[in-house]
Amino acid sequence: MAHLIELSGITRSYRLGMTEVVALRGVDLTIDAGEFTVVTGPSGSGKTTLLNIIGCLDRASSGRYVLDGIDVSNRDFDDLAEVRNQKIGFIFQSFNLIPVLDVAENIEFPCAVREGGESPAALRARVEALARAVGLEQYLHHKPDELSGGQRQRVAIARALITTPRLVLADEPTANLDSKTSEQIIDLMLALNRDQGVTFLFSTHDPRVVQHARRALQIRDGQMVDGALAH
Amino acid sequence: MALVKLALRNLARNKRRTAITFVALVAGVGAMVAIKGFMNGQRRQILENQQRGNLGALQVHRKGYVANVLASPLTLDFADSPALRATLAAVPAVVAVSPRIEFGAQLSTPDRRPPPDDGSDLPEADRGQSSFLLFTAIDPATERVVTPKRWEWVSWARGQMPRAASDAQVVLNDDFAKGIAVPLWAAGEAVPPIEQQLAVLAPDRDGSLNGVNVVMAGTLASATPNDRRVGLMPLATAQALLRMEGRVTEYGLAVAEGADLAEVKRLVEAAVGADFEVHTWEERLPFVRDIVDTQDFVFGIVSGIFLFVVLLGVVNAMLMSVLERVREIGTMLAVGMRRRQVVQLFIAEGVVLGLVGGALGALVGFAWVSWMNARGLSIPAPGAKVPSLLRPSVDAAFLARATLQATAGAALASLWPAWRASRLRPVEALAHT
Repeated sequence: MAHLIELSGITRSYRLGMTEVVALRGVDLTIDAGEFTVVTGPSGSGKTTLLNIIGCLDRASSGRYVLDGIDVSNRDFDDLAEVRNQKIGFIFQSFNLIPVLDVAENIEFPCAVREGGESPAALRARVEALARAVGLEQYLHHKPDELSGGQRQRVAIARALITTPRLVLADEPTANLDSKTSEQIIDLMLALNRDQGVTFLFSTHDPRVVQHARRALQIRDGQMVDGALAH
Repeated sequence: MALVKLALRNLARNKRRTAITFVALVAGVGAMVAIKGFMNGQRRQILENQQRGNLGALQVHRKGYVANVLASPLTLDFADSPALRATLAAVPAVVAVSPRIEFGAQLSTPDRRPPPDDGSDLPEADRGQSSFLLFTAIDPATERVVTPKRWEWVSWARGQMPRAASDAQVVLNDDFAKGIAVPLWAAGEAVPPIEQQLAVLAPDRDGSLNGVNVVMAGTLASATPNDRRVGLMPLATAQALLRMEGRVTEYGLAVAEGADLAEVKRLVEAAVGADFEVHTWEERLPFVRDIVDTQDFVFGIVSGIFLFVVLLGVVNAMLMSVLERVREIGTMLAVGMRRRQVVQLFIAEGVVLGLVGGALGALVGFAWVSWMNARGLSIPAPGAKVPSLLRPSVDAAFLARATLQATAGAALASLWPAWRASRLRPVEALAHT
């Protein structure tokens, strides 16, 4: 069976003034559908760069990246936007909700920017179902600044799932949450992975997340040092 | 969710900045409407003075008259027939027909005192003076309907208009008359002896010089540009001077208020046939048209500068908005928003700013113009000494155009900030702090 993610020889380098910084040095990695995987490593190790490339937010300097059977290595900006919209959900450390939209509008936003597609009524029904799934059905018309940190991250999770993506990328999703809320968020994502088969890939320093992961990848100095190939 | 809805919410996000931008737009567009209203009022003043004070709405001449007016104005005359007047009066919207003759003549004032008994010459200061003037011979009875403002202008100066077409009287420009010390004859006084009267000398229709003695019954206050060397003379007196009894060079026509002048002109042309030509004030006075065109041109430049300055404010507001929302734009791009959609979002915000600010500005300007229209501004028309009420006015088409210009301008002003927002790379925008 084909892997959901296949990275071969991925490198990423930047120019900082006269200096060339190499963030990734020939990363090979495969992830299968339904995995619950964490990427760990010290600050500056390259894990955020790796997630950016896997999330099609950035392009590799060299190497090949196949996502769900599509080679996205050399796609242009708008093609990558479509890939992100169709196949990837994002959960950010700082939630990144749009402050002028209420909870329901934030959740439906990735579908609202699609051209054509489902009817507003059908979309709204799915939004309400997802809001129920993350425990926010009472807050559909609240603005982000009326919610707690944990509630905001639940909105972000619902927004990541509204497009029924093949992959959800979470960059330090519990970093801005207290312990209890972090546990709840981790439990929620585990349940979604278990019950709906959603593939999750995290970057984190949080040992609680690592502890729940079914697979842990370690990256150091831009290279995978452990767990790069699927078990 | 509709872009306009999102744009509205984004504008409401920073209320103070949006309010300042709105105020600039309202002030800019409001000022544009007010200036245009003032110019329209001034234009109407000029038009009224020319139409109702000098020419009438339309003039009928023999074919070729206007082209040859300087060379042989009197030979292109025609019979002042009741039938022709009736034909013209029967044209719909024609209110009155007034016969005229336009001619050039020399006006001489009498010596201030008799010559010395010793046969020596009068000192220069006591001698009469001669000047060349352009006279219009009029029938006071009909002219009063076609150019009633002449009577108004006399009331602002001195004396009175002649009562009858056969009166041996003239009316001169007040400044001119004072300049050469023309004595005013007051109605009811005895007519002075011939040597104390004015002499008007003019070549008749055949080119022979002829003269007539007249008194100055009144003076006209200056009300239009270049009217210092013009005079009025009763028609029958002028016909005798020019040996043109029963003939005229022009009919001045009064037209009903609000009538379509071009259409009335077409009907008059059809009524009088190919032997005659019909002119509007614009055709007789191209310099007035030039003044109006120049005003329009200057207004275009001034309003363009106004709009440009106001729109710089819009550019600034939109750029600030982009800078404040870098992370948010990054999030939108990350979840799949296309660059084109980002451009559309910011342009939608500019369009809402321009449309609402422009429409409010047009309304504020229109309110001022309407108020001033009802009240009237007592100021002279350009080149005039006679005060008249200037009533500013604007039409709905201009208000719509001003609003559209503000909207289109704001959309254009948003292009650059929108383009900058759309060129953000999501990975960098998301990392922005």
